[in-house]
Amino acid sequence: MSLFGSTSGFGTGGTSMFGSTTADNHNPMKDIEVTSPPDDSISCLAFSPHTLPGNFLIAGSWANDVRCWEVQDNGQTIPKAQQMHTGPVLDACWSDDGSKVFTASCDKTAKMWDLNSNQAIQIAQHDAPVKTIHWIKAPNYSCVMTGSWDKTLKFWDTRSPTPMMTLQLPERCYCADVVHPMAAVATAERGLIVYQLENQPSEFRRIDSPLKHQHRCVAIFKDKVNKPTGFALGSIEGRVAIHYINPPNPAKDNFTFKCHRSNGTNTSAPQDIYAVNGIAFHPVHGTLATVGSDGRFSFWDKDARTKLKTSEQLDQPISACCFNHNGNIFAYASSYDWSKGHEFYNPQKKNYIFLRNAAEELKPRNKK
Amino acid sequence: MGVCQFFLRGYCRFGERCWNEHPRGAGRPGGPAPPSQVTSGRGGGWGSSNQRYSSVIQPSTFKSDTWGGSRDHGRGFFGSSDFGSSGGGSRNADFSQNRFSALANSQSVADGSKDEEERLLECVVKDMEIWESSGQWIFSSYSPMKEKLNVSGFSDVSPEELRLEYYDSRAKNMIGNYIDAVQQLAAQWKNRLLQLKALNSSTKAALLSAFKNTGTQPSPAFGLGGQQTSSFGLSSFPVNSSSTSASSFSFKASSSLINSSSSGTSPAAGVSSSAGSAPAFGATSSPSAPQPAGFGSPAAPSAASFSFKTAATAGGFGTSGFSGFGSAAAVNSSSTTTPLPAFGAFNAATATSASPSSGALFGQTASASGHHVTSASAAVTNTTASEKLFTPKSELSAEEWQQFEAKEFTIGKIPLKPPPLELLNAYDLLSLFRNNMF
Repeated sequence: MSLFGSTSGFGTGGTSMFGSTTADNHNPMKDIEVTSPPDDSISCLAFSPHTLPGNFLIAGSWANDVRCWEVQDNGQTIPKAQQMHTGPVLDACWSDDGSKVFTASCDKTAKMWDLNSNQAIQIAQHDAPVKTIHWIKAPNYSCVMTGSWDKTLKFWDTRSPTPMMTLQLPERCYCADVVHPMAAVATAERGLIVYQLENQPSEFRRIDSPLKHQHRCVAIFKDKVNKPTGFALGSIEGRVAIHYINPPNPAKDNFTFKCHRSNGTNTSAPQDIYAVNGIAFHPVHGTLATVGSDGRFSFWDKDARTKLKTSEQLDQPISACCFNHNGNIFAYASSYDWSKGHEFYNPQKKNYIFLRNAAEELKPRNKK
Repeated sequence: MGVCQFFLRGYCRFGERCWNEHPRGAGRPGGPAPPSQVTSGRGGGWGSSNQRYSSVIQPSTFKSDTWGGSRDHGRGFFGSSDFGSSGGGSRNADFSQNRFSALANSQSVADGSKDEEERLLECVVKDMEIWESSGQWIFSSYSPMKEKLNVSGFSDVSPEELRLEYYDSRAKNMIGNYIDAVQQLAAQWKNRLLQLKALNSSTKAALLSAFKNTGTQPSPAFGLGGQQTSSFGLSSFPVNSSSTSASSFSFKASSSLINSSSSGTSPAAGVSSSAGSAPAFGATSSPSAPQPAGFGSPAAPSAASFSFKTAATAGGFGTSGFSGFGSAAAVNSSSTTTPLPAFGAFNAATATSASPSSGALFGQTASASGHHVTSASAAVTNTTASEKLFTPKSELSAEEWQQFEAKEFTIGKIPLKPPPLELLNAYDLLSLFRNNMF
């Protein structure tokens, strides 16, 4: 079965629903399992950019490693290489030319991994774990942006040990996203800041959080002419806010929607509310995917304001997700995200990364 | 033209365009849905919003086309995908599905702010109920409404931070410590939540005064001048009520602090958190400021247990303790990353440290949210407080002493005065934990 460009995937998955019931629910969606997954929870996933032929996936995990696989057209995954940090890896990203991978870790450093030589060197230092890392490619400069729990956002030229710039954050950085020339950073205590990156990074606006609880993940989306125009922000309370930076009518254009909650068939019983662990926008369709602690992923169309699909429930939370550069593959990681504390942590439980054909399911709804 | 039954129940899809009558007096069950754009029976309808999270999950008007194999339990497919717009303008009268429109009451113009307060409080209570029963992450900040500051007593600890603490504890074979600390934090969360759910008059008063004080940019901005005092007001719940609290932590007490803390403890420090070190718990964050108070114990300001403080990491002495302390003043410890030798030096230190760290851009002081406010200015604002940081034992009544001695505060009996120096080390769990970890 070809993973790309064809609409296989779902149909075959569907039939098994009625027939066999696998006792083990680790892959109810019957998606492709990546071989040799990390030994501990996966914190981040990233696919190679379009500049690299083929598809390469990197995943950072709580086992202090970053792994790289080649994903072939037939769905086969081949482990390629691995690098280690001295602390759990919290985030990873690719450079624009696909030759380097940047990794951020709890060991307060960030590293640059040259895939050709398989060497990794430290390029950043913070006073606390580095939570986010992004590569910025501007017309007149390129740098790595790191956000840390030490309440700073630092920009690094990989050749120098001191940051090009440091921006203070109101609180610990919890999540960030960069789509040139915009960067959005969400911090603890419901802080939310947007930066503009032209010429040099500077704070653009502080935004009142549209959500009532802790911010968990953020993803920038673009408009029809491919310019970043807003972001989606997820919280621990099963809710995502869609926020436009300069909407014609903020009251109507910005909205929030609930997701990753147990059903409300019984309206009198309280719902279970789960955290939204990751949000990713499809690079072509502009629709988005959310993954949650409930072990499900959902696809949404924010323009039509509808849900496109929700998956079956996996037996573990889904901790990370991402799309490949052309939107054909949706990768999601099934591993424990600490949402229920240490009691539910089982180091023996296997962690998975699944790949799904995303070409068809994320097509937007047509608005009439 | 009949009365619209859907509107009465709170979920009319047509809103203003509805042909039936929407009687205004019908208790405003909730913003009716805006005119639906979904024509064909395509999936994902608009369930009408229900911005108060009331237990009714509006069934979607259009049945979804269920996808092949995927099937949520029951109608969860749409029930959970309700869309509500959280308009920035909570005061607009049109029925956009404004999540916060419970507070935008077109008919309450006459009632004015009073009504809004009522709704805010109702909103808080409802949210607390939901929070309690939903199983969602408990170590989270909270605010009932966009422009409002975070409600005190709740501070953010992300799952990753907690997990890292666990991993570090495990590496040092001190998992017991971790478990205890987490349990304590959870207990404090629960206390605060129950308190807000019950909403007795003093909690109400504290909350309302806090809400009133929100000016403009709340969140990150905390920390300055006027805002500062307001946010401090927040912190106390019954405790220190208002301005006194935090401000007292920061500068007033300084002198006494320095004297008493030669051993390296930083009483107030506990409070604001933690300084640079790690994620720390609750106490850290707090631009919402007086988090410490947040923990249900005014004692929070209490110092870290002495023994642990000295073990403090980075920079030892200065870090958690003092920088935390100083940051209380600045409210936002941007400067906390730098270890601070002594309080006295703090002012100077932060002022100077602030600039270099921020490097170019942003002009620290200019930064809107000003949390970088040089501590000097912060100090100025803070000195308005006249309360001391600690109450000498002689000044405490027997009951207050008892409360401080007790393992937990009894709601309703939480002393208004700050705790006595003697009992400080009993309370600062966070610093305790934190210092073990880093």
